[in-house]
Amino acid sequence: MFRNNYDNDSVTFSPQGRIFQVEYAAEAVKQGSVVVGIASKTHAVLVAIKRNAEELSSYQKKLFPIDEHVGIAIAGLTSDARVLSNFMKQQCLGHRLTYGRNMPVRTLVEMIGSKAQINTQHYGKRPYGVGLLVAGVDDQGPHLFEFQPSGMTEEMVAFAIGARSQMARTYLEKNIDKFADCDREELIRHGLRALKESLVQDRELTVDNTSVGVAGAVKADDGSTKVEPFKVYDQQDVTAWIESVADDKEGAGAGEGEGMEVDP
Amino acid sequence: MTSIGTGYDLANSIFSPDGRNFQVEYAVKAVENGGTSIGIRCKDGVVLAVEKIVTSKLLKPGANKRIATVDRHLGVVYSGMIPDGRHFIDRARDEARSWRDTFKTPISTADLASRMGGYMQAYTLYQSVRPFGITAIVGGFDSTEEAPVDGEVGSGPACGAGGKVAGKTHGGPFLYMIEPSGLYWGYYGAATGKGRQAAKAELEKLDLGGPGGPTLTLEQAVKEAARIIYVAHDDSKDKEFELEMTWISGADGPTKGCIGRERLSVGEKALDEDEDEEEGKEEKMEE
Amino acid sequence: MDHRPQAWGRPRDDVYGAYDASYLQSGGPKTATQSPIVTGTSVIAIKFKDGVVMAADNLASYGSLARFTDVKRLRPFLSTSVVGFGGDVSDMQFLTRHLNELAIDEAYEHESSPTSSSEDDPNAPPAGQLNAANLHKYLSKLMYRRRNDFDPLWNQILVAGFDSASAPFLASVDLRGTTFTSPSLATGFGAMLAQPIMRRYAATEADAARLTREEAVKVVKECMKVLFYRDARSLDRYSIAVVTKDGVELSEDEQLERQSWAFAERIKGYGTQTV
Repeated sequence: MFRNNYDNDSVTFSPQGRIFQVEYAAEAVKQGSVVVGIASKTHAVLVAIKRNAEELSSYQKKLFPIDEHVGIAIAGLTSDARVLSNFMKQQCLGHRLTYGRNMPVRTLVEMIGSKAQINTQHYGKRPYGVGLLVAGVDDQGPHLFEFQPSGMTEEMVAFAIGARSQMARTYLEKNIDKFADCDREELIRHGLRALKESLVQDRELTVDNTSVGVAGAVKADDGSTKVEPFKVYDQQDVTAWIESVADDKEGAGAGEGEGMEVDP
Repeated sequence: MTSIGTGYDLANSIFSPDGRNFQVEYAVKAVENGGTSIGIRCKDGVVLAVEKIVTSKLLKPGANKRIATVDRHLGVVYSGMIPDGRHFIDRARDEARSWRDTFKTPISTADLASRMGGYMQAYTLYQSVRPFGITAIVGGFDSTEEAPVDGEVGSGPACGAGGKVAGKTHGGPFLYMIEPSGLYWGYYGAATGKGRQAAKAELEKLDLGGPGGPTLTLEQAVKEAARIIYVAHDDSKDKEFELEMTWISGADGPTKGCIGRERLSVGEKALDEDEDEEEGKEEKMEE
Repeated sequence: MDHRPQAWGRPRDDVYGAYDASYLQSGGPKTATQSPIVTGTSVIAIKFKDGVVMAADNLASYGSLARFTDVKRLRPFLSTSVVGFGGDVSDMQFLTRHLNELAIDEAYEHESSPTSSSEDDPNAPPAGQLNAANLHKYLSKLMYRRRNDFDPLWNQILVAGFDSASAPFLASVDLRGTTFTSPSLATGFGAMLAQPIMRRYAATEADAARLTREEAVKVVKECMKVLFYRDARSLDRYSIAVVTKDGVELSEDEQLERQSWAFAERIKGYGTQTV
């Protein structure tokens, strides 16, 4: 890769109107291990692959609860993610204190979007080197958002970011019509299958490297909505789910040639 | 771009020997890559429309809105770098709010365009920032009614000082377009983004700038705006898109002076069903 | 005579004596609002099975002077809630403007959501919008903060609407940040004169849940009449609002009907009475 004159900082446009520093920050997201998110009519799910630096070290957490109703999955610089996560926690808490309700997920996501945009327009700042999937439930039901270092935030039906995430996205695109009506368990399984698509050969989901996060808002018969707070599941809590997707080939596209391509 | 490599384009706020600020010109390039946005100022309102390129099948259809409300009577649409557009809108909302704080009355479309033009221009002045990578179209309907002061509790004196000139009208539909340089003009019909040339050609065919003011009604303009976005879309090159549009009328019209009260967001396949779509809209407008 | 420019236009010390600057209070604590100036009197409200009824008269008094007689003290918020203000009128105007901004802010988020109203009930207010309970929480934080700044907003406020479980909601907050909720509520003189009457009809939440809209409106109108009889800072023109799931019906120019002042003859103890 060659340097050019326009990639030194985030306040210089290239002649094509691009900002290379922001594009490079997006590359940092692809260095992180893969995370997948899916939303149905009743639940929002995040699943993630955790990495350990070496055999004897612990695994880096990928899923973080923000408030009762929201959680995030991160890919990229963990320390940048912590800055954003702390900010989101504070905003949610403040909103809860002032209005006595869950902060709407879109409002929350747009706040970090605005925060990140500032870093792309001022000299001496750098873009955040992390991408997020934000899953949560509010008065309007479950939501899944993607956040990029550019400050771009978009609501998705399902999405995957991180290393080799293209394969997971391909799985999600193939199954996108199924997600809306999935129940909690089906949705988690779809997430794990998408995750498996992105694994390197010889690697598989284990209780050590897999995290699952769920939030839900299920409508009861009497019209009231029962909120399932966002919760992260690790270790033995994910065993059953991993086993349930261990051998199935339901994930169309699994094992096909495209699965071996490198992350673009 | 013969001047690339001379070094005058490496930082914002630097003039080249022939008097250009290249960084601003590059920012315009970012705009020219974005989906087409248009605005139409018609007889009884303003229409804003945008072509949203669908970058991924995984996007939630219709969920990611690009036209934003700034105040009850003001809307903004933009082409270019979307996070920059969000920033622009945040600022526009702050301006509208501070105007209300100071003057106890809504900001006029012209004043908002002026404030935001100034804000954009400030980002061309310093090496420490970059220009906005957007061109924004601001549409609004300044009330033609006799507006009470915000927070007014009684009816006030029925006569006396502060009286109005009989027969004098004020307010109405307004449309402005603000460029990365901070330059802004008022428009009868405005277009920016990738398909601006085609869109402009279509806009110029409409009767918008006649001496007696535009004859196009809001209802017609809504249809024209939808059509123009489809015309401006390059089927061969571009991916699928969603059309998003909104419109605003005066207090006696279908939106009762409030923007965003009616909004439309349709996927690309609606192209074939264009006729049906139009009828749906008519129903809405007769509300 | 003193011809120095500093003395031009000033009262002459040799005629009027030296200027007494003592009232300027050079020392002492900084003070903000010590008392309300132009005031509105009672606001009353009662829950019924499908919503809440609220009323307040249209008078703004300057001390004992009936200064403004067309002041609207009930304010709808987002067409789903009503806020009623007793106390200082300029503070009410400040709060009204503030709530207006809050409503505009709410619209930003609300209009950008694809499912703005519930699928099964087209009349339901848009999901995710601030409801009366959220609004009351917000106002209580605002009022409490201002009181802790020793710069209170001199109001007693009633908030009516619905809570997040879609049940009728009624609560109050005052200049001290005190919050209270009850099936019926009244501020100012209404707390003494109207509340006992309303409690006859809605002593408990269960009672209120049986009350019909017509009954609730009748009780409130009756209370407004009693308040006009006995509260010297009240007026016979008033506003009444009914909040239901369908929205807010606000009528701002009601007139007290069928007044009977016969009881006044029997009142003794003050005024120009000879017996």
